[in-house]
Order: sequence, then structure tokens, then C-alpha cells
Amino acid sequence: MLEVSHLRKVYGPDPTAAPAVADLDFTVADQEFVCVLGSSGCGKTTMLRCLSGLIPFTSGEITLRGKPVTGPPEDMAFVFQDYSRSLLPWMTVRRNIAFPLRYKGVDRRAANEATEEALDAVGLAGRGDRYPWQLSGGMQQRVAIARALAYRPSILLMDEPFASVDAQTRSGLEDLLLSVKQRYGITVLFVTHDIDEAIYLGDRVLVLRPPATVGHAVTVNLPRPRDQVLTKQEPEFARLRGELFAAIDGRSVAA
Amino acid sequence: MRDLGLKVSGVLVVLLALELCSRTGLLSRDWFPPVTETYAELFKLAAGHPLWTEIGRTLSGWALGIALATVLAVPCGILLGSNQTAYRMTRVVIEFCRPVPSVALIPLAVLVYGVGLEMKVFLIVFVTFWPILLQVIYGVQDVDPVVRDTARAYGLPPLARFFRVTLPSAAPYIATGLRIASAIALVLAVTAELVVGAPGLGQSIVVAQSNANLPRMYALIIVTGLVGWVLNLAFQAIERRLLRWHPSQRQEVAQ
Repeated sequence: MLEVSHLRKVYGPDPTAAPAVADLDFTVADQEFVCVLGSSGCGKTTMLRCLSGLIPFTSGEITLRGKPVTGPPEDMAFVFQDYSRSLLPWMTVRRNIAFPLRYKGVDRRAANEATEEALDAVGLAGRGDRYPWQLSGGMQQRVAIARALAYRPSILLMDEPFASVDAQTRSGLEDLLLSVKQRYGITVLFVTHDIDEAIYLGDRVLVLRPPATVGHAVTVNLPRPRDQVLTKQEPEFARLRGELFAAIDGRSVAA
Repeated sequence: MRDLGLKVSGVLVVLLALELCSRTGLLSRDWFPPVTETYAELFKLAAGHPLWTEIGRTLSGWALGIALATVLAVPCGILLGSNQTAYRMTRVVIEFCRPVPSVALIPLAVLVYGVGLEMKVFLIVFVTFWPILLQVIYGVQDVDPVVRDTARAYGLPPLARFFRVTLPSAAPYIATGLRIASAIALVLAVTAELVVGAPGLGQSIVVAQSNANLPRMYALIIVTGLVGWVLNLAFQAIERRLLRWHPSQRQEVAQ
């Protein structure tokens, strides 16, 4: 689905300067949920901006479904951390979800249907006429997710989407994300700095170390559907947690 | 309701104080006629046709000036706001032209355009162009980067990004520019009429003064104040309607 090979990004005109992303290699399979874990400043955001085609990269290759990424791809949707700024305050919730569809060539009726379905999928049916700022933070991020879903992407990129909501809302949003991923059959690349969140959501977790190289990768062998209480009680969860904690720290993994 | 009562009684107290000062001779009655006389004159004027003609003359200069300044300043502001090179090139020129005291241009305006409406419009356009221009520049430059990224990530073409994102983002700034311009334009219209004798409220004030008709002069001064006040109210009402999504206009907050 998504293939990244030898990705390198250096900001500024000097190609020998310190890279934000040095040499990044990974692939994401169709329908897979991959979490990218890293502390702040490790190049996560730069990586995502390159993957989404928002900024050009220095060298290497990114292909999405066999096609090289040179600008924002049509079958990719992006959910930003800062939901309150990424939703347009002058548009109602419904318009916020529907407006990108027009430029994708979706006709009005299909766009309306996709919008209503997405609103329903994130549990906001009946709130379409509100403005984003009339909703709570968690609901706003659900609108942003609905916008991404209505866009019918084959892959969804998420940049720490739940980092600025409270813990309660956060677990609700995590479960919502897992259920809509199932319903829409999409691939997800999810960036986070939270180890528990990465294990809970992902099929695979990649640990990014500065300057953005994959320092460690684990496959999450936890049964689905996941459950906020039961999954986190599994011994495997605790084991992965320890392993990833060590990997982020840069220590070798104790067996 | 209580607020309105307080406002009205505040006004009444001031008027009563002025009336007493004049009646008791604390302020010379020759120069400061009692408020009741001024208001009697005001109502007499309001009943007659000439007052409304004068208001119309002042306002037509105001309206033409603002409209022309807007038509010129908005495209220029959009260009300078979205092009760094053009902005840097013109900054010095703008910073030089902007603070030129508007009345310094009156002789030039009279020389070129005579003493009629054209002269008034020229002055207003020249002076109100700058605040509108600067607000448009700031507004266009201040589009939230997350909003910009969102629009690009969802594949909006440049023209759509401009109309759907940049222009609505800049709208509150443009509205502020227009409100500032409106106040300046009224001052200029009245000044031009006072100094040059172009027909309008300002000229009527001079005529009343030279006839030593002080109640009429005060009545006309009050009229100019009222005109400014009503214009400001009108602008606020339009802003409230068009920018109801903006934080400064929101009637309700997130639950």
C-alpha cells in the first residue's frame, strides 16, 4: 500500500546540513494499522508532511499504491492534532466534511450521502448544522475524522490526533477509530508519542529515533476487537510496553 | 433592559448638567445656548427637507470614497499579502504614504478637482485606501498554517484555496479595515466641506456659524455625531451577521 524507501529530508538549501529525516524505510500493508512511536523532535511531523505530499523531500522514494507521491495524493486523508484549527470555523460541521469532496470530483448527491454516513459513523448524526466551535474538543476531532472518512481515502494519516483531549475522551476516540477503520476498510498510519495508545491501536508499532530512522519495530499480537480494560491486562501488552519503552530510550532490549 | 436604563439616564444627566450650566450662566449663554434650544432647533431641522439633503451630500461623498477605496485596496492587499517580494518592495512606499496628514492634501485636491463631490471622494479614497490595504495584507498573511495545510492536504486547487480559505480567514481583518475607513471617511467629508465649502453638513455648520445661529450650529454638530454613530452601528450589525463564526462575534461557546 505505502512504501517508503531511503527517505531523506533536509530543511534549507544546504543538502549536507543535519537532516530532519535521515534514512527512513518502512512499508504499510493494505488494511494494516501501523503506529509510529517517537518522542518529540524525532522527525515524526516532518515524516508525515513528506508522506502527505505537503512538503518536498530531499531524496528517497515514497509510493502509494504503486504511484510516487509528489503532491497531496487523492486517496490519502490527513487528520491533524490541532482539530480546532484544522476545522474551518466559518463552515458548519456538514460543510466542513463535504467541501473537499467537490474538488475530488464527487457530485453533490454522492457528497451529501458520504457526509451523512461519515457523521453517523462518528456518532454525530444530527449535529451537521452546528458550527465546530459549538462542539466540545472530542466532538471536534470526531468531525475531523468524519471529514477524512467521507473523503474515502485508501490510507489515513493521523498526526497525534488525540494528544490534546482528556483521557476519558481519548479512550472513547481510540475505540471509535478502531470501529470506523473496520467499517470503512482503510489503512491507517498513526503517529503518537504514547506507548499504550500505540500498542492498543496498532497491528505493528515502529519506533522512530532521531533523525527519523526506524530504530525498532514490533508486531502486536493482541486479539481484536480490543478492549480498553481487557486488552491492557494481557501479559503481552505489558511485555510490549516494556520492550517499546526501552526502545524509545535507545537502550538494547532486555529479553 | 436594566443596561439600557442606565445608558439613557447617563445621557439625561449630562444633558441636564449642560442645560443648568447654560441657564445659570456658568457657561456663557451666548456661546453655549441651553440644550433644549439646540434640540428644539434639531427637531425643526429634522422636519425640513434641507437637512436631509445635506446629510445625503455628505454621505454620498463618504459612500463613493469608501467604495472606490475598497475596490482598489482589496485586490492590492491580496496581491501584497500573498507575495513576499511585492510586499517587501512596496513597504516603504506604504509606510511613507500612510501617515501623510489627510488635510495636507486639500489644496491639491481643490486644485485638481475643484470644490465639489469629486474633491471629497479623492481625499477619502487617498486616505482610507491605506488602512483597508494594511488590514487586507495582514488578513491574508495571517491565515492559520494548519488551515492552509488542511486545504492543501485535501487537494483544493489554488483558486479554491483562495476563495474557500484565504478570503474567509481574512474577512474579520477586512471588516476592521472598513470600519476604521468609515470613521476616517466621515471626518474627511465634513472637513472638506468645512474648509473648502463643498456642499454638505460641514458647509451648513459654517453657514450657521457665520449667521451667528448658535443653536443651529450645535444642532448640526449633533447631526454629524449621530451620522457617525449610526454608520458605526450599521457596520457592527453587518459584521455580526457575516462574521458570526468569528470568536469576537460568537453568541455562544462550546458546551
